[in-house]
Amino acid sequence: MIGADVVEIAPVINDREVFLSVPVRMTLAEMLRDRLDLFGVKLSCEMQVCGVCTVLVDGQPVSSCTYLAADADGRRVSTIEGLAEGEQLHPLQQAFVDHFALQCGFCTPGFIMMAKHLLDRSPDPTRDEVVEYLDGNLCRCTGYAPIVDAVLDAAGRLRAEP
Amino acid sequence: MGVLPAFRLLRPRSVSEAVGWLNYDRLAYAGGTELLLAMREGLLRPTHLVDLKGIEGLGSVEESSGEVTIGALVTHTQAADHPIVGARLPGLAGVLQRVGNPRVRATGTLAGNLCFAEPRSDVAAALIAQEGEVEIASPQGRRRMAVRDFVVGPYSTALEPGELLTRIHVPIRPDVRFVYVKHQTAERPALGVALSVNSHVSVVVGAVGLSPQAFEVGSLSALDVAEVAARVEVVPDLTGSEEYKRHLVEVYLRRAIGRLERGE
Repeated sequence: MIGADVVEIAPVINDREVFLSVPVRMTLAEMLRDRLDLFGVKLSCEMQVCGVCTVLVDGQPVSSCTYLAADADGRRVSTIEGLAEGEQLHPLQQAFVDHFALQCGFCTPGFIMMAKHLLDRSPDPTRDEVVEYLDGNLCRCTGYAPIVDAVLDAAGRLRAEP
Repeated sequence: MGVLPAFRLLRPRSVSEAVGWLNYDRLAYAGGTELLLAMREGLLRPTHLVDLKGIEGLGSVEESSGEVTIGALVTHTQAADHPIVGARLPGLAGVLQRVGNPRVRATGTLAGNLCFAEPRSDVAAALIAQEGEVEIASPQGRRRMAVRDFVVGPYSTALEPGELLTRIHVPIRPDVRFVYVKHQTAERPALGVALSVNSHVSVVVGAVGLSPQAFEVGSLSALDVAEVAARVEVVPDLTGSEEYKRHLVEVYLRRAIGRLERGE
């Protein structure tokens, strides 16, 4: 039988290189949660619609629920766990706290990773740009206004950083 | 374990190696934004995925002899951000910036979008209106055909088992005015309308029926939006009834014409 059913991969997860042997059918979300205990990666729709499983791969946002772990070989993967520096929250995390931009918190890691990608690419977005960019992420608690407020506030804090 | 059914992974290094492997059970794989979802739902059960991402030369955007060529590995985001697409095909760049959501755009390829032939594809409607073509490789050689003929029905293309869509070609037409408007409240539009205007007018109505539908008229003033809305094939679904969708077609056609007339 030709083709591999298991592959060896060496992704860099939150700045740490890891070596793993993974079945080719394993998704990136399964690998992050079940092999690496990165439970900030959530799973819900598993159809690329809700955004709770969002992580960055080489800086690009992906739905880790339907992205093969095999494809992460040699790539840099960023999850919510990699944002804070020790006890110091990332400005996006702090802004979400300050604006009460979460209730149950299930969607929060996905929103923050999407927002991180937006601000990496566009440090001074308009409110409309934030709304449009985040329309692929669903929140069922708060309504979206405080989330958008938090992202705009974090953008200001990041621009003010030296 | 696992949400995906079992399969094996093949990683060809060239197009000829890939087409030697592809068949009815061994499917081409790049971004996976449609394929992995279909596998997860049990709609497709390939024995192998033939991962194209290691093939050199399919990841580029190039301009030559009056057309832009987009390789099969180019994602929506890469194409939308590419300076050649921005300069030569600004209308298409605008469409690509608004496909699905940012995660779909970052991983999904234009070629995969066309091959899946999802009835609500923005890319298919836009490329039909822009008279795009696809280049197809097989062990027998290469052929080119219009996107209009490539998309034969819902989730159905002219691609035979063992064939691979390698490139998309889009003519550069500074004389053509193009606009695309859509009504979208979720990941996929309820309606997309593409309008291309030069010596004649090409209207492509996407998403409301089983496939994008093209209508040709002589001039913008001869375009009867009520007639198009009455003639277009419409399938009622969760995004709206037949009556509602026909209404949408008429309203969005008027908006498309308005944008063209205002030079937007």
